[in-house]
Amino acid sequence: MPTITFNGISKSFGANTVIKEFTAQVPDKDFLVLLGPSGCGKSTMLRMIAGLTEITAGELRFDDRVVNDLSPKKRDIAFVFQSYALYPHMKVRANIAFPLVMDNHRWWHHLPVVGALARRAVLKRPDVAEKVDAVAAMLELTDYLDRRPRALSGGQRQRVALARSLIRDPAVYLLDEPLSNLDAKLRAQMRAAISALHARVRKTFVYVTHDQVEAMTMGTRIIVLNDGVVQQYGTPKEIYDRPANVFVATFIGSPPMNVFVAEATGDGLRVGDRLIPASREVAGRVAARGEAVIRMGVRAEKVTIHPADADVENAIEARVVNVEHLGAETVVGFTLRRDEGAGVVGAAATSGLFSARLAGEVPLSADTPCRVGFDLDTVTWFDHASGRRVEL
Amino acid sequence: MAVSQATRAPRRPRRPRGPLAPYAFAGAAALYLVLFAGVPILKGVQLSVTDTQLINPNGGSSVGLDNYAALVGDEVFLRSVVTTIVYAFCTVAGSLLLGTVSAVVLNRAFPGRFLARAVAVMPWAVPTVAVVMVFRWIFNNDNGVANAGLSALGIGARGWLTDPSYGMPSVLVATVWKVTPFVMLVVLAALQAVPEELYEAARVDGAGMYSTFTTIVLPHLMPTLRIVGLLMTIWSFRRFEIIWLLTGGGPAGVTSTIVISVYEQAFGNSRLGFAAAIGVLGLLLSLAVTLVYFVIETRTERKNRVAA
Amino acid sequence: MIARRNLGVGVRTLLATLLVILAGFPLYWILNTAITPKDTLYTGGQRLIPDVSRAGHLFSILVTDRSFLRWITNSTVVALGTTVTSLLMATLAAYALSRYRFFGKGIMGFGFFATQMLPEALLVVPLYSLFASLGMLNQLYGLVLANTAFAMPVATFILKAAMDAIPYEMEESARVDGCGALSILQIMVVPLIAPSMAAAAVIAFFDGWNEYLFATTFITDERKWTASTGLASFIGDFLIPLDTVFSGAFLFAVPAVVFFLVMQRRIVSGLTAGSVKG
Repeated sequence: MPTITFNGISKSFGANTVIKEFTAQVPDKDFLVLLGPSGCGKSTMLRMIAGLTEITAGELRFDDRVVNDLSPKKRDIAFVFQSYALYPHMKVRANIAFPLVMDNHRWWHHLPVVGALARRAVLKRPDVAEKVDAVAAMLELTDYLDRRPRALSGGQRQRVALARSLIRDPAVYLLDEPLSNLDAKLRAQMRAAISALHARVRKTFVYVTHDQVEAMTMGTRIIVLNDGVVQQYGTPKEIYDRPANVFVATFIGSPPMNVFVAEATGDGLRVGDRLIPASREVAGRVAARGEAVIRMGVRAEKVTIHPADADVENAIEARVVNVEHLGAETVVGFTLRRDEGAGVVGAAATSGLFSARLAGEVPLSADTPCRVGFDLDTVTWFDHASGRRVEL
Repeated sequence: MAVSQATRAPRRPRRPRGPLAPYAFAGAAALYLVLFAGVPILKGVQLSVTDTQLINPNGGSSVGLDNYAALVGDEVFLRSVVTTIVYAFCTVAGSLLLGTVSAVVLNRAFPGRFLARAVAVMPWAVPTVAVVMVFRWIFNNDNGVANAGLSALGIGARGWLTDPSYGMPSVLVATVWKVTPFVMLVVLAALQAVPEELYEAARVDGAGMYSTFTTIVLPHLMPTLRIVGLLMTIWSFRRFEIIWLLTGGGPAGVTSTIVISVYEQAFGNSRLGFAAAIGVLGLLLSLAVTLVYFVIETRTERKNRVAA
Repeated sequence: MIARRNLGVGVRTLLATLLVILAGFPLYWILNTAITPKDTLYTGGQRLIPDVSRAGHLFSILVTDRSFLRWITNSTVVALGTTVTSLLMATLAAYALSRYRFFGKGIMGFGFFATQMLPEALLVVPLYSLFASLGMLNQLYGLVLANTAFAMPVATFILKAAMDAIPYEMEESARVDGCGALSILQIMVVPLIAPSMAAAAVIAFFDGWNEYLFATTFITDERKWTASTGLASFIGDFLIPLDTVFSGAFLFAVPAVVFFLVMQRRIVSGLTAGSVKG
């Protein structure tokens, strides 16, 4: 069972390069998630693994075998499409069994009628029927085997697509945003179901999504892509705790990580005209890099918010812009600007807007002054110019 | 649709099985057309510069452009060109007008619409030979229902297919009757694409039936009418059977279009080479019309794109 | 406002009635003539409402003219042949045009469209000499070959339009599941475009069924005539009674009318999509 190796893979459509020099290695039996905003090239990546899209440059290997020019069916893969791509003119049973039917394809199956009868015979063979029944039972599709895809709900169609990918027991499962057409509740169920499936079949999964929750909950490894360039490759925990750059930091996490632009002065770090208390020592370390300006990343859950008149240490003045009560937690949007008041809408209202995630109900109201604090030890630092994470 | 295509645009160019597959698929059809349309056309062009006779179709010697030179000043040929243009223009105008009106009438629900629609399409399906038979009988001088009707109204009988002043109108009636349903069906399909909200908006604005049609419906139909107009025109240029069987080009040659002359010269006068020259000129006429259509179409498309 | 709406409905109904009369009268007249006694026809006694009890005379040609059935059989052979050869090639060609980019595609598309311009009257001469040298005159399959040149491009446009509507992902899924290009076409595409295949088949069938010029030029042996040639030979022939002739016209037209009515919607959507995009 293969280790997938990407060796300098590039893809161009004419002058338009969508994947640039992609290099990575995915260990066998991993659950790899390709994560990124739409248009970042993640689907193209997956289609190149499948052999549906040609690789422009570089080398794709399954173990030691270069598969660049191998047709999809010779790669021992299964592909679950976003639209499920079920065969509308076949019943569910025939849909699920189709890969097995094609395994038994002979040249004379191209003859009209004869071929159709031969395919039907394969479908009725006891070993094939048994496999279909087993997979259908696993995905709770037994009652629907004689229906056509048209007569199924979205979730059922999704499971048929999964069943079809399972039937041939491939070495690699490729899934292209398989949950994006489902409603939120079903999506949560299917996340768990797919994770369980991975644990059960113990094969390599490559899963494309733009949904960071899916990536964090299902992936054993995540590749974050943007504009065809790999931003970071690591475990979900690494990516969350040690984002490689500002893009990853702000793409992962909900709400996204707060990134302040800070300047080291003799008194300490300044964000705008606010001096961060007790930051003189840190400012010294920043200045030692030879560049006074730096970006500070603070996760929303590391931010604390206090009433304006509260007597707390190490807090700076800010202004509450909005408050979202989510029950178990409260997300507070705040700004460090003084002049922003009520009545600001649109892009102006969100630029320079930061967030804090607080446990429980917090008695704060919008458009009131407040004090904001965070622990400098939890800050992730990014180079101002390149956006890359730096150690202080 | 346009949106999803735009976002997926990079995925479209794909070659599942090497660059030879499309040729394998299209090869048979392409080869077939080359053999049974391309080669005969070339052979026709080649014939057109010879004096080949019907009795010896593979004999004949080259006469250069003599056939074409003879045609330039030939009054009969020039008359057939004019006849063709008149025939095509009247057929296209008549069928587009009647077809559009019929489609608009049949587009809105009324009791019996299904039946009306079925009857209205039938002429398209009836084989030309049967169409000719019934129109010959309707236009029969002595016992035809056309003359019987005129007599009943106190108007004298006409020689529909024998009087030179009625030959062309009679042929046109039969042709328009036969081809209008095609226009109607295509326009009906195009009318389905007019968004219902537009009609409602027009009604809110107080537009009447006529102004709704000219300001809402007609602009939507224009692309369809253009392509149907092109098809109708090039089909008119080559239409043979209905004219040939109805009048044979007569009376006194008034319905002798280019294709009728081709057939007459070839099989009546045995002059295959001369006939081919006429046919080639007729084909050039069709090509010219098609070219004009595509030029107009590209220009409109560009204008629309700029507007959008 | 209401008055105007009612006026609209009134005008519409009036126009629809007029339309039905104009379109329907010649068809009705075929039936009427077929069941009117020939003596009545020749003395100007044909009535707008015929004697309906003679409806059986619609089929009179089957009894009085033995060769008519043979002609109809020949027409059927030609039409079926045209359908099979056209659809076979059109399906393959449409798939290439719908799914691939290849050198020569534009020329091919134009070539297919250009067949709509070719006058049969010009083609008939070179084809005649071609068929003569190949010994294919007086052969029904010669007609099939000639008709296919006109029926196949139209069928291709219809099928291409239908194939364009099939999502790419379904075919890609089939490829992952182990299908080659030919299997995809056979197992996935053809079943999905079955309605359009039927429409294309009807059009090709009646191209062969209705065709007259090639049939009358290439077939001189009366036993191999098609119905169009046979019926046309009645024109101006006063030995065959007119009511019999119209019975033939009726029987010749019925299959075409019935099939076109049944397939109407498919045919139109195929033709419009095909011609507009093609």
